[in-house]
Amino acid sequence: MSNATKLLLIGLLLVSIEGFAQKKMYFGQTEIGFLYGKRAGQWDGNHEKRFDVSFMTFHGAQVAKNNVIGFSVGLDQYDDVSIIPIALGWRGFLGKDGKPKIFGGFDLGGGTALLEKKVSDEGSKSWYEGGFLVSPSVGLNFPAKNGKTALSFSFAYKRQEVSQFYGVLSASGTQSVTNDRLPPGYSSLTENHFLYRSFVFRLGLMY
Amino acid sequence: MKSISTSNCLLFLLSVLVFSSCHDEITTSYTYHTMIPVYLEMSDVRARIINTEAAKPLDNPGKIYIYEDYLFINEPTKGIHILNNSNPANPVNLSFIPIEGNVDMAVNGSILYADNYVDLLAFDISTIDDIRLVKRVEDVFTQMYHHETGQVITFRDTVITTENPGWETGGWMMDNRISFSANFSAASQSYGIGGSMARFTLSNLHLYAVDESTLRVFDVESPSDPIFVKPIDLGWGIETIFPFEDKLFIGSNTGMHIYDASTPNSPTRMAVYEHVQACDPVVVNADYAFVTLRNGNTCRNGVNELQVIDIKDLYQPKLRKSYPMLNPHGLGLAGDFLYIAEGTHGLKSFNVSDVMSIDQNQLEFLTNQKSVDLIPGPKSLIVIGPDGVCQFDYSTPSQLKKLSCIQVSNPVNLY
Repeated sequence: MSNATKLLLIGLLLVSIEGFAQKKMYFGQTEIGFLYGKRAGQWDGNHEKRFDVSFMTFHGAQVAKNNVIGFSVGLDQYDDVSIIPIALGWRGFLGKDGKPKIFGGFDLGGGTALLEKKVSDEGSKSWYEGGFLVSPSVGLNFPAKNGKTALSFSFAYKRQEVSQFYGVLSASGTQSVTNDRLPPGYSSLTENHFLYRSFVFRLGLMY
Repeated sequence: MKSISTSNCLLFLLSVLVFSSCHDEITTSYTYHTMIPVYLEMSDVRARIINTEAAKPLDNPGKIYIYEDYLFINEPTKGIHILNNSNPANPVNLSFIPIEGNVDMAVNGSILYADNYVDLLAFDISTIDDIRLVKRVEDVFTQMYHHETGQVITFRDTVITTENPGWETGGWMMDNRISFSANFSAASQSYGIGGSMARFTLSNLHLYAVDESTLRVFDVESPSDPIFVKPIDLGWGIETIFPFEDKLFIGSNTGMHIYDASTPNSPTRMAVYEHVQACDPVVVNADYAFVTLRNGNTCRNGVNELQVIDIKDLYQPKLRKSYPMLNPHGLGLAGDFLYIAEGTHGLKSFNVSDVMSIDQNQLEFLTNQKSVDLIPGPKSLIVIGPDGVCQFDYSTPSQLKKLSCIQVSNPVNLY
């Protein structure tokens, strides 16, 4: 795990702990789990399975009795690529206070590839860019005896777009054309656009 | 009510989960800069009337030719800019002659020669405000013809995005580096200018034009009536031509050809000096030829050096000495002083009175003056670089004094 990742996790933890001290108005949810998906089809039509780590923390405010609006950040691993998802989200609850509740959520935002290093040499550059993210979820929570915190299980669908770019720089003396699709100084650009569709199983706390 | 809407939401979310497609997708797109061929009927090109237009900003300057107080600056494949350079400290952009497919020019008396795809044009420039086309010699640069259909093939800069990168769509093979026309559009680097990188030259009442493989001879005894004499096959990879006395020194990417032009109608080969493959302009004085070899655009396996070749016996040119350089492009000789354009590295000046110790006689190295070619003109040293056209006072050869710079709107990338 890179230093940046560690720092991020520590930061998130601090934010989460701070959450305990807030008023009732505040709602927090921190969960860790795994992503499960099937890779794109191979030549024989088979799909390999994909298992990766997923971490998510949601911070919001109660806007109505059973509705919370907030934002979520986290860390998702897709094969070799680490993505930090940042999204606006909603959580809604069904059930009586003090009893296990069913909850639903919806997160809409984008993933960033900040943790991925750009690689460049004399003649080329390659890098990752994150993209659109949407993740509906459902789950169950089991309140603790003090009523303030709850154990939560979530099951989510997560659609995350990620692009990998590989650009070849223009050769000496060639003119670069001005074009939206090709950055100046490049003679070609290959984009591998990944659309990851995953099921997410997570376990955590609500507070 | 609220709990009903919440449950509706949950139901909706569940249905999303159930019906969502569940495997990843990868789409690959490949965007590349290339040249797409454009076919032109020569009859259409000829039918268009060429009228001088108002001055245009310099976009991507190619060759430069000095005529009296004027500078003619080629805009590769587009035409020729005319600038009044009576004061080198303040050149004034006067007008533009649109000539399709033009990459080179030469001036003989008051006649300007310019290529127009397969034709050679002659313009009367005796009145600079009223430039007139006086002659068109048709079908001389026939290598431009696509088959024999009367069509010429030209290339347009294009960016293409494909979802199927592969050999059938060109893939890497369509990289713009490979297209020779990319070299035209970047002519300020690869062919450049009227100085040592010229491909048109005048000598002994004849106009000599070289293309990749052929030397073409025109009789211009009557300047306004150029007559095509004949083509002479040179072999592949011809890049520059430099006249000295009644000899022609032709730089190719495999060596330097020396032609005897004492019978101007029919130059004959005296010698070929072979060296490693590199891009190489040539300048010459009575005893020595100075050749720069560079590892560049289409000649990547070359070396970067200045070679001094003894040409006292023109039939047996001998290498006297070579000096390592950084990335030498064009060069210019003014008396005992040699100026070398070092690409992005700058501009160097040397005293070459002693050819065996040129490296010890470096006078200046202007590292902030990126340059690809230069012309020692009567009033100023004209230096062409990726950022523009600059002029220097070189009356004190050891100390260049910058007079002016014309910025270009589309600087060429140099590495």
